[in-house]
Amino acid sequence: MIELYAIAEQPAPEVPSPLRAVAAGSLVAVCGPADDEVTPEALWQREMVLEGLMADRNLLPVRYGTRVEDEEAAARAVEERREHLAAALERVRGAVELSVRVVGEAGTAVHEPLLALARDAVVSRPQAPESHRAAYLVDRAAIQEFVDTVAALQRTTTNLQVLCTGPWPPYSFTSP
Amino acid sequence: MTTTVAQQEVALIDLVDRLLGGGVVIAGDITLAVADVDLVYVQLRALVSSVATAQEKGVLPKMGSAL
Repeated sequence: MIELYAIAEQPAPEVPSPLRAVAAGSLVAVCGPADDEVTPEALWQREMVLEGLMADRNLLPVRYGTRVEDEEAAARAVEERREHLAAALERVRGAVELSVRVVGEAGTAVHEPLLALARDAVVSRPQAPESHRAAYLVDRAAIQEFVDTVAALQRTTTNLQVLCTGPWPPYSFTSP
Repeated sequence: MTTTVAQQEVALIDLVDRLLGGGVVIAGDITLAVADVDLVYVQLRALVSSVATAQEKGVLPKMGSAL
């Protein structure tokens, strides 16, 4: 069994061994060995691989733990969903994901000013002690402005903690 | 991505949310054991609480952007 890591576009990226870039029409399935055990180290390792690929191209991360029999099966799985995946890649072209979580009361106040700088956002259910949790799809050119705005919001709302991480591959924006 | 231990912990929470709950679903064959996922989540929820508590006590510096 191998694991599907990400979907990218042709031309196939140069990937270091033991990764494989498997052609599937106009798309490419980046595959690699499956992790034996889910540990923070294994998760970071996967993230590092994706960030390396993301440095100079657009990609869709694949749900962690997605396994297929072999490279042929990987190519087939991607071909079968070609239109959906191509449209999803189009949506995230040139953008990254930034995570924002706010600890404290009424943290949703940060949402509007941040959304104004983003292409899109996905708000998810905050987990106590958070009051706001969202992912923002941000143009690469707008990352700095977004980060500066987060810092400004943190300065003006001292009763909140605004926790921003990224840039992440677009994990939360994988639908067309 | 991150510079301090506290920020790495925060980033790990975000990473786990994304890797295990995000990404495009390609095949039905996701063989990650549910028990593994639950374990990771439980540890991280505990971590969120501990970070918040430590900050209230002034043990940890207030975190801003981890970028």
